[in-house]
Amino acid sequence: MTPPTSSSPFAVEAQGLVKSYGIVKAVDGVSFQVRRGEIMGFLGANGAGKTTTMRMLCGLLTPTSGRALIDGFDIHAQPLEAKARLGYLDEEPFVHPHLTGREFLNYIADLYRMPRGPERQQRMERLLGLFELADRNGELIGAYSHGMKQKIGLASLLIRQPSVLLLDEPTNGLDPRSARLVKDLLEELAELGTTVLLSTHILEVAQALCKRVAIIDRGHVVATGTMEELRAQAGSEQASLEELFLKLTAGPESRELIERLLAPTP
Amino acid sequence: MSSSTAQIILSAELLAWRHRLLNRGPGRLVLLGIALLAAAVFIGGGAFTIGAAAGHFLPTTRDTILTGGFTSLSVLMLVIGFPTVIATFFVGRELLQLVLAPVRPIDIFAARLLVAMSANLLISSILLMSTLGVGVGSGAPLAYFPLAVVLIFVQVLVVTALQAILMSVVLRWVPARLARDVAAAVAGLAGAGFYLAWNINLRQSFTARHPDLSSFSSLVGKVEWLPSAWPGHALSAVIAGNNTEAATWVAFSLVFGVLVLAVAEILYQRTLLTGLGVFGGPPPIWRRGVAKQAITVARAGAASPFRAIALKDWLSYRRDIRRLSRMLPALLFPVGYAFAFLRPSQSITSFWTEVFLVGFISMFMSTALATPSIPSERRGFQLLRMAPMTMAQVIRAKVMLTLPPVLVLTLGFSIVVATVSKSGIAQYLELAVLVVWLGIGFVSVGVSAGAIDPRFDASDDRRAVGLVGTLAGLGGTLGFGLLSVGSLALLVFGYAASQGIHQLGPIPATPAIGALMWVGALVLLVGAAGIVITLLWFANARLRSWEGAIATV
Repeated sequence: MTPPTSSSPFAVEAQGLVKSYGIVKAVDGVSFQVRRGEIMGFLGANGAGKTTTMRMLCGLLTPTSGRALIDGFDIHAQPLEAKARLGYLDEEPFVHPHLTGREFLNYIADLYRMPRGPERQQRMERLLGLFELADRNGELIGAYSHGMKQKIGLASLLIRQPSVLLLDEPTNGLDPRSARLVKDLLEELAELGTTVLLSTHILEVAQALCKRVAIIDRGHVVATGTMEELRAQAGSEQASLEELFLKLTAGPESRELIERLLAPTP
Repeated sequence: MSSSTAQIILSAELLAWRHRLLNRGPGRLVLLGIALLAAAVFIGGGAFTIGAAAGHFLPTTRDTILTGGFTSLSVLMLVIGFPTVIATFFVGRELLQLVLAPVRPIDIFAARLLVAMSANLLISSILLMSTLGVGVGSGAPLAYFPLAVVLIFVQVLVVTALQAILMSVVLRWVPARLARDVAAAVAGLAGAGFYLAWNINLRQSFTARHPDLSSFSSLVGKVEWLPSAWPGHALSAVIAGNNTEAATWVAFSLVFGVLVLAVAEILYQRTLLTGLGVFGGPPPIWRRGVAKQAITVARAGAASPFRAIALKDWLSYRRDIRRLSRMLPALLFPVGYAFAFLRPSQSITSFWTEVFLVGFISMFMSTALATPSIPSERRGFQLLRMAPMTMAQVIRAKVMLTLPPVLVLTLGFSIVVATVSKSGIAQYLELAVLVVWLGIGFVSVGVSAGAIDPRFDASDDRRAVGLVGTLAGLGGTLGFGLLSVGSLALLVFGYAASQGIHQLGPIPATPAIGALMWVGALVLLVGAAGIVITLLWFANARLRSWEGAIATV
């Protein structure tokens, strides 16, 4: 695991994050916290601002205003400290197509200054075995399928054991077996103290894994809390996460839209 | 052909062009406009003037000039316009949509032909201006001018169709994953070879006080039977007033054009899907499903990000057949120039010729290797941004990694040059110091240019740097190179002056003048270093503030 944390009680803090592109505000004052060792879901419709927020949290985008803290370190003011503790998986993983899986993991481990030696080697072999990539030895990542790229992307995060993981659609493109593996792995990691902020469209995954969720809609966080807190907020005692999500990100009901679409043209 | 289908496809293409142009922002549009205007005035005006002068003063060689011009520009189009033709006919997700739609391949071919011709049309504008110049200079009849425009358009059409044929043939005979790179390498090597032969020949023609075109005429004479020369014959016949001969050559040119187009269309129909399968998919991978690597346990020790980047670059570069295939023609230039200058008839007699040669090679190799070093990270650049390292460290790593190959190549070249010209040990040392100084400077400028305006989405190193980066690189290279060579000149002449040796005409050779020159040399040296430091500073600032999504390429 990466160095011990600072005195902050939160592993991830978004403090009034704003990202503007000209007159368009992609993210408008997003604030939430993720506690240590917690898996928090980050939900939103397409274009709601999830990926922009995630990219501000990991330092790939500079916020127009607001702060992003990782283990108490401001990702923009103290980038080296924050980045050493952070692992981010993009929905299209950042990989080098002309390296093999093993070479890529070595590259990442060196970039993050993980000491070379048998311990690192063993960890790498275990990860390659876990993600069923050990047999792809010698094959270049460019020839991998999307799911395999996703797996090598995940392995590149786990090899260096960051204390905070920001995952954007980690099960995207994975077969059911691998998706299950990722879910189990995240639960195990959380139990060991790793903090996970998980962005996903698959609400069943979020409901099964996340203690709390934040829902973002058109650049604003419209709800944050546990399932019970969200149900209380929406006034629906027995509602599923899907029903809560649709209610909190209110738009025309899909049934109504379909009826309108199929109605005969006058 | 259904005109509506072609119209729909063309409208979509034009709309996409318009959006790409307008999305550049007003600042870049103004810069682009200025660059185009300057190119039109200098290149277009220059071509017209040269053509007019040749047409007026060299009446007996008009046919040679016109046929030579048509053939050489055709080869240039064949090489430079090739990526555009591949991209238009075989790459692109929108092509997949067209294939899925009820559209015949002939419609796709016809509609995309105009887009595929774009790069070739741009190059042909040089030919157009010089051909019009020849017409004006030789007092050609009015019919010459519209005929020149038509024949040049036909030539562009033929060259574009030939490129489509070449790609289709390569796709049928070469393993699909290597097709694009083999075609690019063949075209690049042919073009570079042709350019070198041309350049060396021109150098021979213009070394005397009066131009001697006998060697040039002899070269063109060997290729004047080529169809690329037929429009030239037609136009020279028009100037000579031989209308029957002109009509014959025009007819030959048009029939040849129609034949080439028909063959291109037939071959394209057969290879469209193969091409799309190859190019629409992931980038080519050199080793696919190779034997398993032996697992080696790394030696224990501290990890180094610098070493990580070095190893990754080395592995990626030697496996990236596309980048390698594009380096081949680039490497041909220094080798070709070295050959041209080291022939006995062209033996080097001056130290300053060596200095300029070494400077040119250093600049050339640095531009080829250093400029794309940061943009070639592509999506992997995001990994560097997320890693606990600064952008200054990334730039330093890239400079340190590019320097050794540039220094080795340039030092090797300068040793050969100095040996052949029988230089003394002092001149060897001066050249070696110059090579190291220029190498460090040019490589830093090249890496900075790539960092100032990187195009991480570009799949081709030649498009990896935007306009701002290219201008910064050109300016930095010129400034640093001129100041450095100027500084060396002041050092050498200052030493001579301090020894009382007259080398600069009326300027007295005294120790005081020598000291003054050395001060000047120091000032120029500081200026050269200042340019490099400024560019590195800008590069660091630009990379630190760089943000954006990088599309999968």
